[in-house]
Amino acid sequence: MMRDDRISRLPMLLSAVVALALAVIPLPSALDALRPDFLVLVVFYWSIESPRAGGLTLAFFAGIALDVIKGVVLGQHALALTLMAAWATYLRLRLRVFSVLSQSLTIFAFLSGYQFILFWVDGATGNPVTSFSRWLAPVIGAAIWPFLASTLGRLHEQR
Amino acid sequence: MVAFRNSDSSGRTTGLLLRCVLYSLLALGLIIVDKRYDHLGKIRRLLSIAAYPVQVAVESPFEGWNWFRRSVTSRDVLRADNAKLQAELRLAQFRLQRYEALEAETQRLRALRDNTAGVSNRFIVGDIMDVDLDAFRARVLVDKGASDGVFVGQAVLDSGGVFGQVTRVEQLTSEVILISDPTHAIPVQINRNGLRTVAVGTGDSSRLKLPYLPTSADVIAGDLLVTSGLGGVFPAGYPVGTIAEVKRDPAQSLADVDVRPAAALDRSRELMFVWVKPGAVLPAAASTKAPTPAATPAPTAAPASGTAAAAAPSAPTGPPPPAGANDE
Repeated sequence: MMRDDRISRLPMLLSAVVALALAVIPLPSALDALRPDFLVLVVFYWSIESPRAGGLTLAFFAGIALDVIKGVVLGQHALALTLMAAWATYLRLRLRVFSVLSQSLTIFAFLSGYQFILFWVDGATGNPVTSFSRWLAPVIGAAIWPFLASTLGRLHEQR
Repeated sequence: MVAFRNSDSSGRTTGLLLRCVLYSLLALGLIIVDKRYDHLGKIRRLLSIAAYPVQVAVESPFEGWNWFRRSVTSRDVLRADNAKLQAELRLAQFRLQRYEALEAETQRLRALRDNTAGVSNRFIVGDIMDVDLDAFRARVLVDKGASDGVFVGQAVLDSGGVFGQVTRVEQLTSEVILISDPTHAIPVQINRNGLRTVAVGTGDSSRLKLPYLPTSADVIAGDLLVTSGLGGVFPAGYPVGTIAEVKRDPAQSLADVDVRPAAALDRSRELMFVWVKPGAVLPAAASTKAPTPAATPAPTAAPASGTAAAAAPSAPTGPPPPAGANDE
């Protein structure tokens, strides 16, 4: 627990930048709707593993970065990410002892909440996206969570 | 230790709640300010400059691959390309002869009608960046921005026809909404008879639709749609698409019309940003520009002059009310 204080923020920032790049890397349009929210997963990982290193601050600024890079209303992703990262941070002690399956399911709930907030802000600002495929990203995200978590875990332990 | 951790974590939970509320309020404030007021434009531009390296980094491997492919094209391909381009150039020059004659004629007619609306449009060419924006909206990022004079609402064309319009301008980049976006509508007219309507995007880049045509409307598959110039965003007379299919259900009052866009919405790499002089968006300007699209779809050289000649008289009938009113 106290280890968190001495955590270097480099792996955190590095993984966030890579995930940001993955969020805009061009994919064939058929796969585009299936693209998992990498940056969101990375933010969840750091919120769960080392909240003291500034998980919520990371969440807010990662959200702003997503807003700018995707060109949507400023604050949309920031709001969704902040709320969901706070929830993840709150549940982190329980999450750490969960089995892989229940972890994935919880992540699915977080991702769905994230999409719901995006959906709501989209509607409130007058660009509703009614396509059902928006809800595919949480499923894919939850499915790749175990791999992502173990990859990030290795990066985390290596120092 | 347990006690310590408990107090520690409850303290942390309060802190967490506090920070969560703080950040959420900040984000909500940003959303409201960004949506309601225009003050955030500058901040956004600065942030987008910070985001530019990420976009370029994402784009660079694809650029590199394209460059590699370009540099190792075989001689045969180059020769075939060359032959094709020369053939196209011959055809284009052939059409240009007609075009210049027509333009001179138009200028004369304009002078007669005392309507000197300028049609000299200014272009700059931008490249689409290999960056995916939102998966659910048809938008692209182009490497020309405020520093090149691009402005919001500017019309964007590709080599085939109308591509979209600028929705957001940053310092070095701009965002273009495609005409196929479901929230986009473009005023058009049918080149054959001048019937005016609105083409709406479907979200599918190979299809637009005309939802506001009555079943009795004179529209047939193969008709060319050009911009009507109404609305003042798009210059008049540029090709938008061709009618792919008309479904008339006698029980409905409106026809179901599918349009195939003229622009290669999912394949284009280079886009043209157009500056339109205010006068050129008058419906009367359509007559000047109409020969350009009319000549475009003509497949061979032989009927090209025929098509252009046929289009020339048909174009003035395009916007009949103003032209007729002015002449008499």
